[in-house]
Amino acid sequence: MSDTPEKSDDKSVDLADLDGSVEPETLRRVLQNLSLACVIADYSSWEILFENATFFQWFPPKGDRDGLLTERLPDLNQAKAEERLKKWRPISFEAETKPGGREIPLEIELRPLPGDDGTLCIVECRDIAKRRQAEYMLESYSHMAEKNARDLRREKERVEKLLLNIMPRSVYEEMKDYGTVTPQRFDDASILMLDFVDFTEMAVSRDPSALISELNDIFTSFDRIVELFGCERIKTIGDAYMAVSGLPEANPEHAQNAARAGLRMRRYIERRNTAHTEAWRCRIGIHSGPVVGSIIGIQKYVYDIFGPGVNMAARLEVQSEPMQITVSETTYNLIKDEFRLVDRGKFEVKGFGTQRLFSLETEIAMGR
Amino acid sequence: MTSTMFERYGGFAKISQLVSSFYDRVLDSPLPSPYFAKTDMRRQIDHQTKFIATVMGGPTSYTDDALERVHAKLEITDPAFDEVAMLLKETLEDFGVEDADVRVLCEEFVSRRRYIVDR
Repeated sequence: MSDTPEKSDDKSVDLADLDGSVEPETLRRVLQNLSLACVIADYSSWEILFENATFFQWFPPKGDRDGLLTERLPDLNQAKAEERLKKWRPISFEAETKPGGREIPLEIELRPLPGDDGTLCIVECRDIAKRRQAEYMLESYSHMAEKNARDLRREKERVEKLLLNIMPRSVYEEMKDYGTVTPQRFDDASILMLDFVDFTEMAVSRDPSALISELNDIFTSFDRIVELFGCERIKTIGDAYMAVSGLPEANPEHAQNAARAGLRMRRYIERRNTAHTEAWRCRIGIHSGPVVGSIIGIQKYVYDIFGPGVNMAARLEVQSEPMQITVSETTYNLIKDEFRLVDRGKFEVKGFGTQRLFSLETEIAMGR
Repeated sequence: MTSTMFERYGGFAKISQLVSSFYDRVLDSPLPSPYFAKTDMRRQIDHQTKFIATVMGGPTSYTDDALERVHAKLEITDPAFDEVAMLLKETLEDFGVEDADVRVLCEEFVSRRRYIVDR
């Protein structure tokens, strides 16, 4: 700018001069050299009465009607601006300009000129590139935060799903809320034990990985059966599968549910054997009685159930012939009206003395 | 339209900018500005951004209880509230928020008058 060398002369303007008595030409030069773009316009005609150098640089005149603000600022909403200015209110908007090929983001504000009762307004355009940078940063960080929150939520769901595999939901909720689980006694429960005949021999004689994969299929199906009949899988130990019914929520049908699950498991094995060359044969024992359920362990915890009933079910399972479901007298009394059972007579059961045992055949209503 | 206003108007970054501009105007206005004499404006803008984001359906939550709590004892008058409501409307318009959305947001704002204005 040609005015620049004269800047040193500006120093001669002392404060006394500024007190309302600055030369109009000095004021004009100050405005011309402001780093923000500034225009004085008449908003009744949008005619530009004054523009400074920065405005000229940012919005260079192009066409014939370049004396009009609306031509120079294409992003200005003329109707809205007039409406606002007539109410003596400011209006602002954002726009971009590319004076030297590089895009500059701007904030443009139009204000009625104070002290003027006509239709003059001041237009100010500020470079907001720095603010845009900050916004960009903020946005990228908030995206990152949202993504992290989402990942965390997904991870939490995954952990929850894992934990729900080893304990009932109500127990999981208790553990989540209180950090510990109080052992709880369930008076009315039925325990189902299942084991495979000659599994140890099968493991030696056959390809172990194929065998395990088959066992995995079978247990996965058992999990579905157990869930279908409102039972909980407690655990598997090698080829043994243990499920319980009547907890954590009490269920008057606990014995029937365990019986149904047992029948369905046996039928699944039967069906499976007809379709495969390798036959699996299971033994099942079902007993009804009180159990205590709790989380055991701190680092490696499992939900487990305890009580003589659990041992009894294990003994009954041993008493079963291959593909037989053996039921104790207690369970028999609970389910005899709905299921067909065969009295197997009296057996000596280790730890429980002489016991009358029954073999579960079918559900009467279902007529398997 | 499935996306929220929050998404359509550019998320946190854009809304915080809008709110920042809104407070520039509030502080310039003689009626409401004295209420902010001792306010940490950074926090104020942060809170208001969360409020607006909530009203726009963003991933924040701002309860009316909290609003009532922070405005108690400020002795805010109806004219000051109306002035701020008008400034909000102008800010939203200036930021290119659609008329229908401006109406919704201003209604949401004005509907909370009883939590803000001192009775």
